[in-house]
Amino acid sequence: MSHHLPICGSKEEPLHAIGARFDTPDQLLAAVNRLRAEGYSAYECYTPYPVHGLAEVMRLPKSLLSFLVLGGGLTAILIALSMELVPSTLIYPLVVDGKPLNLSALPQYVPIVVALTLMIGAIAAVKGMIILGGMPRLNNPMFAWDLFAKDASRGFFLAVEADDKKFTTAGVTELLDQLGAGDVTAIHLEEESK
Amino acid sequence: MSATTSNETAAPDLSAIARPPQVLNNRGPLWVTDAVCSIVEGKTPLWWYAAISVSGAFAAIGGACILYMIVTGVGVWGSNSPCFWAWDITNFIFWVSMAHAGSLISALLFLTRQKWSISISRAAEAMTVFAIVCAGVYPAIHIGRVWFVWFLFPVPNSYGMWPNFSSPLLWDVFAVTSYLTVSSLFWFAGMIPDLAVLRDRATTKVRKFAYGLVSLGWLGTARQWRHFEMMYVLLAGLTSVLVVTVTTIVASDCATSVVPGWHATIFPFYFMVGAVYSGSATILTLLIPLRTIYPQLKELITPSHLDKVCKLLLMMGSCVAYVYVFELFNAWYSANPFERGAFWERFTGSYSWYAITCLSINLTIPQLFWFKAVRRCLPLVVVLAILCNVGMWFERFMIVTTTLTRDFLPSSWGNFHPTIVDILTATGTVGIFFTLFLLFIRFVPIVNMSELKAALPGSQPKHSTGEGH
Repeated sequence: MSHHLPICGSKEEPLHAIGARFDTPDQLLAAVNRLRAEGYSAYECYTPYPVHGLAEVMRLPKSLLSFLVLGGGLTAILIALSMELVPSTLIYPLVVDGKPLNLSALPQYVPIVVALTLMIGAIAAVKGMIILGGMPRLNNPMFAWDLFAKDASRGFFLAVEADDKKFTTAGVTELLDQLGAGDVTAIHLEEESK
Repeated sequence: MSATTSNETAAPDLSAIARPPQVLNNRGPLWVTDAVCSIVEGKTPLWWYAAISVSGAFAAIGGACILYMIVTGVGVWGSNSPCFWAWDITNFIFWVSMAHAGSLISALLFLTRQKWSISISRAAEAMTVFAIVCAGVYPAIHIGRVWFVWFLFPVPNSYGMWPNFSSPLLWDVFAVTSYLTVSSLFWFAGMIPDLAVLRDRATTKVRKFAYGLVSLGWLGTARQWRHFEMMYVLLAGLTSVLVVTVTTIVASDCATSVVPGWHATIFPFYFMVGAVYSGSATILTLLIPLRTIYPQLKELITPSHLDKVCKLLLMMGSCVAYVYVFELFNAWYSANPFERGAFWERFTGSYSWYAITCLSINLTIPQLFWFKAVRRCLPLVVVLAILCNVGMWFERFMIVTTTLTRDFLPSSWGNFHPTIVDILTATGTVGIFFTLFLLFIRFVPIVNMSELKAALPGSQPKHSTGEGH
């Protein structure tokens, strides 16, 4: 079976993964369940939109992003308060209209605190998503697979990676065939990506 | 599987209360991808070149006027004692307010799981970002000596001077900066998966490189989606706060002063409802012609979606009407002669026709949207929506300028007349807005494809937990 496997990437380079395409999210979930049951752990799913339940099936932990945003927001509150209070009360106390400047006038410092908290929280959210998601990464072994690189939005892709302890080309290919996967392909690394 | 089928047959007929379909004609995810991408991938249409030449010309003239103003001084504007704020702040408030409906639609309606907003959220967010850019033109240049703009920020400097943190004008600087940053991030980050689709489908090297760069190497792995979905919820939460805070702070510019006609606690609410009102009108003005130009969008942005935006406009328009009436009542009921004088002057003084135009539009036009026949007649909706924005511009002028020209002392009264530089700068911002929107149509997917596909019927697995199946 395995010698019929289509190959992409450079034949001389080591095998990166065996990729497969499914037509429906149900098939993908079933495949992940089966892979887990068989004891595989190094695999990745690629979907054109967030598929409900996939992360649970893959046992992915909850995203840490909310803590990053909380940290960013709390830092912003501290930065904003010190940025406002230090000049206003210590180094440049400017009295306008007889308004007080110290802590008794805390409400007047709130709008800038809110604005900066939202801004730094949002920056933390986007930066965190990019870094936790392994981005920016402009090359990827998966791009060697033309079917995936040209039209990832046309299916639900699964790649079982070669560094999985249980990985054998024949075993994975047979398993994927049993699961009704289409376009099972051996993805080798490309020369440039080394 | 058989259990599911028997459940389905046993269920009562819910078609009467079923939600209208997200996408018409039972289109699937592949059709959605092709329909949205074809707008960006097709040959640039002639009308686009024509439109961007016109809007670009207006923007360039506006830019030239700003340059002329900077090298000559603010005297080239009509603003002068006692009316130091005129078209600059009128236009600033007009634009920054318009932005709010976009945030409301994309963030607040996302958090409340109003799925109908998915199809229009991307365009609404774009409108938000571009309107803030137009608003941002004014604050820096209206200070006169632009090279001192860094005084607005708390930068340690050799003079030992610091800004006045108790001033709402400084709050404004932070509010607008954070609004531009957060809404741009929300817009861009939500677009990454869709930009990756364009990268995958790109046929030329330049496009592949450009979309590859901006999509940051997105692959759509389960891990990436997990973080992405968390980020989207968090950003929507942060942006929802901005819907309320930004115009509230802008309203404080007026409300915290003692000038009659401005010194009112209803101002933050007044500005906010007016903001969402004019923004909803802008969304209708932009999307209805776009549907006509690109017929495939008719199945994505359905009459039912537009109907809901019309209802939003009606609700906010009614709130605006309430505020107008309440403001007048308050002026009378306060028995404050200056407050009464300010409102009397508004309707009988030199600028009475501004106030009358504003009230006659904003009290009547949105009320037409009570009628389904009006909401369903899309060409009429566009005309009415444009009128609503005209009314809102007159309202902003009425609030800013007529109040300043009639102060406490008759000796400090004066009138404001716009100069040609005022007018061309204002039309310049309209040009900037449409130029940016045209670029958006041409280079970016204008519908949030990934979110829409995830919400289509049948796109999610039937057994989503995976446990024990």
